Amino acid sequence: MSVDFGWTTNTDDHRTKTPVLKVENLAISYETRTGDVPAVRDVSFEIQRGEAHSIVGESGCGKSTVAFGIVSFLGRNGRIVSGRILFQGQDLVGCPEEELRHIRGDRIAMVYQDPMQALNPSMRLGDQMTEVLTVHRGIEQEEAEEICIQMLGRVYMPDPANVMQRYPHQISGGQQQRVVIAMALLNDPALLIMDEPTTALDVTVEAAVLDLIAELQREFDTAIMYISHNLGVVARVSTKVGVMYAGEIVERASVEDVYLQPYHPYTQGLMRCVPRLGMDKRSSYLYPIPGRVPSPTNLPPGCIFEPRCDYAREECRRKRPELRQIEPRHWARCHFAEEIAQEGWTPPEGLIPDLSALAEVDETAEPILKVEHVKTYYEAPSKKLITREKRYVKAVDDVSIQVQKGETLGVVGESGCGKSTLVKTIIGMEKPTDGELEFIGLDISKPASKRDIAIIQELQMVFQNPDSTLNPSFTVGTQIGRPLRRFKTVPSDQVHDEVIRLLDMMKLGERYYDRLPRQLSGGEKQRVGIARAIAGRPELVLCDEPVSALDVSVQAAVLNLLMEIQQELGTTMIFIAHDLSVVRFFCDHIAVMYLGQIAEIGPAEAIYAPPYHPYTEALLSAVPIPDPSVEQKHVRLSGTVPSALDPPSGCRFHTRCPRRGEMLPDGGKICEEEVPPWRDNGDGHRILCHIPLEELRRLEPVVTTSGG
Amino acid sequence: MLVNDYMTRHPLMAEPTMSIVEAESYMGENDIRHLPIVGDGKRLIGLVTRQRLLVDPGRLGSLDVWEITRYLSGLTVKDAMIKAKDVATIDLNATLEDAARLMVKNKIGCLPVLEQGIVVGIITETDLLAELTNLLGGTGPGVRVTIRVPDKTGEFAKITSAIASQGWGICAAGGVPAPKHPGYWDEVFKIRGVPKDDLVAVLGKIEGQEIVDVREV
Repeated sequence: MSVDFGWTTNTDDHRTKTPVLKVENLAISYETRTGDVPAVRDVSFEIQRGEAHSIVGESGCGKSTVAFGIVSFLGRNGRIVSGRILFQGQDLVGCPEEELRHIRGDRIAMVYQDPMQALNPSMRLGDQMTEVLTVHRGIEQEEAEEICIQMLGRVYMPDPANVMQRYPHQISGGQQQRVVIAMALLNDPALLIMDEPTTALDVTVEAAVLDLIAELQREFDTAIMYISHNLGVVARVSTKVGVMYAGEIVERASVEDVYLQPYHPYTQGLMRCVPRLGMDKRSSYLYPIPGRVPSPTNLPPGCIFEPRCDYAREECRRKRPELRQIEPRHWARCHFAEEIAQEGWTPPEGLIPDLSALAEVDETAEPILKVEHVKTYYEAPSKKLITREKRYVKAVDDVSIQVQKGETLGVVGESGCGKSTLVKTIIGMEKPTDGELEFIGLDISKPASKRDIAIIQELQMVFQNPDSTLNPSFTVGTQIGRPLRRFKTVPSDQVHDEVIRLLDMMKLGERYYDRLPRQLSGGEKQRVGIARAIAGRPELVLCDEPVSALDVSVQAAVLNLLMEIQQELGTTMIFIAHDLSVVRFFCDHIAVMYLGQIAEIGPAEAIYAPPYHPYTEALLSAVPIPDPSVEQKHVRLSGTVPSALDPPSGCRFHTRCPRRGEMLPDGGKICEEEVPPWRDNGDGHRILCHIPLEELRRLEPVVTTSGG
Repeated sequence: MLVNDYMTRHPLMAEPTMSIVEAESYMGENDIRHLPIVGDGKRLIGLVTRQRLLVDPGRLGSLDVWEITRYLSGLTVKDAMIKAKDVATIDLNATLEDAARLMVKNKIGCLPVLEQGIVVGIITETDLLAELTNLLGGTGPGVRVTIRVPDKTGEFAKITSAIASQGWGICAAGGVPAPKHPGYWDEVFKIRGVPKDDLVAVLGKIEGQEIVDVREV
C-alpha cells in the first residue's frame, strides 16, 4: 500500500476538527408591543480551537445580540427564532436549562465592556474571585486563594496578593479589566466571548490588554469571539472577521482579506471612513457612507444595504442576496461582488473634495491664543486632621501653547493627563491658579461668568457626549437659536432663517427644526452640538473628544463637517482626542500631554516621525491600526499614570519611561533628579526630555508599512 | 515534553444525563473515540469509550423491537461509563513517557488530563504517535540514519562531534536499546540538506559503531 504522507509541520492535524463554536443560520427576535423585531437574521460562522474570530460592525447591528444569544441571556422578550448554535458539537438551542447552566459556567466565559459592572463593588476582589472556585468547584478557600493569585500573576497584575485584599474601586480601569479576564479564565473555558472589552480603556492600557488576550489565547488554546466596533483593534487581535450590518453578516474571511481586499460595498465603505495613521486632511479625504442603518422593523425588501449602496441596481431592490463564497474562505452577501471588486470605486459627484481649498496657516501672524505657564490646581482634602499644609491636584502644571488663526491644534494623551482641564481653563470653566492666558490680545484668565459677552461669543465648545449637552426638553431649533439671540449675531427677526441656514450647513435640513434631541441619532445630535457652537461665529472652537462616541461612518461625516466649517469660516480649533489616527488626520499641530505637562509639541508630521519623546513613541506603538499589512514596534508602558497629587520628581515620565535606562548614562538617574530641558528640533517641534535629540533621532519609526 | 504541551485542550465532554443514543451519535459525528463525562465544575465522573456503548446482544435477545427501543432510550451515559475511580488519569505536568507508560500498562488508548481534579484536556495514543513522528523528524525531508553503538558513555558524543566538524546539524534524534543485541543501543537521527553519501563517508569512520540503516526520506 502506498500512502502519500506529505510533510506537515502542523502537529495539530490529528486532533478533532469539531469547531468550538458553530453558529448556523441564527435568527433572533425581540418581542415588542408593536410586533417582533428581527434583530439578527441568518448569521453563520464558526470558531476553531485557539482561534480568535471577530465580529465587527456599527452600533445597533446586532453584534451583542449574537453574543447574548449564544449564552441565551436574551432577556425576557428575546428569543431564538431559528438556527443552531453548536458548542463543541452540542446544540445549545433548546438545551435543558440545567445543562446549559453547566456549560455556561464551566466552558464558556464572558468579558464585557465595563469591568465595573462585572465586579461587585461591595466585595473584596479576592472574595469575588475565590467564590468562582469554592462554590463552583468545591475547592478549599486557601487553595482557591493560591490559584487566584497565580491567575492574577498570569494576567500581569502587579502585586497580586495585595490586589486580592482591595475593593474594585481601588484599582484602575485597566486593572479591573484584568481581574475580570482572570476571573473568566479561572474555569479554563473553551470559549471566551469578549464584548468590546477594551473600549473603555486608554490606548496604552488597551494595547497591554490586547497583548494579554493574544498570549492567553496561545497558552490556553481558548477560542475567542471578539466583538468590537474598532477596526484597528480587530486587525490586531483576530485572525478571522465577520462584518455585520443591520443584523446580518455581510462579509466573512480572514483579517487580511477583509481589510485589504473587501468585496462587500459596506466593508469597502467602512475602510474608506477610517483615517489611517499617516493620512492628513490636505492629502486625503474620508468618505462617509451616506444614509443610516435601517431599523430592523423596516428593512428594505431586497439587499439590506441597497439604500446606501453606490452600486445598487434593480436586482438589489428585488432580491435579497445570500452569503456566498466568492473565493476560498471568503464569503460576501452581494449579488455583484466580483464586478464591484473589479470596477474600483470612484467617489460620487458632490463628494469629490477640494483639498486645495484648505487655507495654509499663516505661520508669521500673531497667534490668536497664547497660553503661558498656565497652572490649574484643584485643592485636595488633606488627610491630616490638624494641618496648615494644603495639597493640590496639579491637573495642568506649567503649560504654554500658542495657536495661530485658522489652525487646528490637537491635544493627545492618556486619560487623567490634563487635556480636558486645559481646555476648560481656556474656556473659563476652571480658574487658572497661575499663568497668563491671552486671546486675540485680551486677558482671559477670568472665569467665564466674569468675562465680557463678546469674548464668550468668540470662544465656544463642542463636547464629547452630545446626549448630556443638549437639553432634552427643547427643540433643536430653539437650542441652536439661543446663542444667536444671546449674542445678537443676527437681528431677532432673522434668527429662524439663520438656524435653518446652520441646519443646512450641518446637512440636516429644515425638517429637523422642530425635533427633540431624543428623535435624533448620535451623529445628528453631535451635528446639532456643532451647529450650536458655531452659531455665534466664534473665532476659536474647543472640541473635547467630539467624535469618540460616534460610529466610524458617522465619525467620518462629522470630521468632514468640521473641516468644511473651518474652510468656510476660517475657525481656529483645539481638538482633543485619544485616537491618534484621527488627530493626525485632522490637526496641523499636536501637543502630547503627560501628567499635566506638555511632553512634546510640534507640527503633526513631526510628531509622528523620529525624533520622538519616549512617551509619544509608546503612544504610537499602542494605537491599533486598521491595516494588517502595517508593522508596529512593540513598546509598552508599565503601570498607570502616577497621581497628579504627588507627581514624580525630575521628569514626570521617568517612572514609566522605557528609554531612559538604555539611552542615558547611569540608567537615567538624571531623569529622577532634574527637570528635563526643552530640546528644539526646529520648525516649532520641541521635546521635553533629557535624552539628546541626536539619540532620539536614531530611534526607528514606530510604524512601518510592509508591502505597500 | 510535558503532557501540558501535547494534550488536546478543551476536549469534547458530556454530562452524565446524556442518553446513550445521543452519546453514540455525538461521538460518531465528531469522530472521537473517548468521551469524558463531567459534573459541576468539569469534575471527572467517568469515561465513555466506543466499546462501552456496545450493548450485549444476549441482553437484548429476549426483547422485541419495541422493548429494545424503550430499553435503549432509558439508558444514559451514566449507566455505561467507566466510573471515575477506575479511570486512569494523568496530571498536567507529567511527562509524555509517564503518560505512555500508563497507557501501555493499562492497555488503554486515552488518559483524561487533570489539573486540581478538573478535566483540562485529554491525551490519546494518537497524540503520542504524532509526537513520536515529530521526535524522529517526520516533519520534513532529510537523511535518516540508524547507528548501532556500544552501551558506553561518550559514544553519542562521537557521532555529534563528527557531524559538527562538517558544519552539519541534527534536526531530530532518539535512542533505544538495540533489539536482540544486548549491550548495544540504536541511535536514530535525521540530518537535513546533506547528501547521503557524504554523510555515510563521515559516519563510517567512527570506530566501534555500525551503520545499521540509512535512507533518504
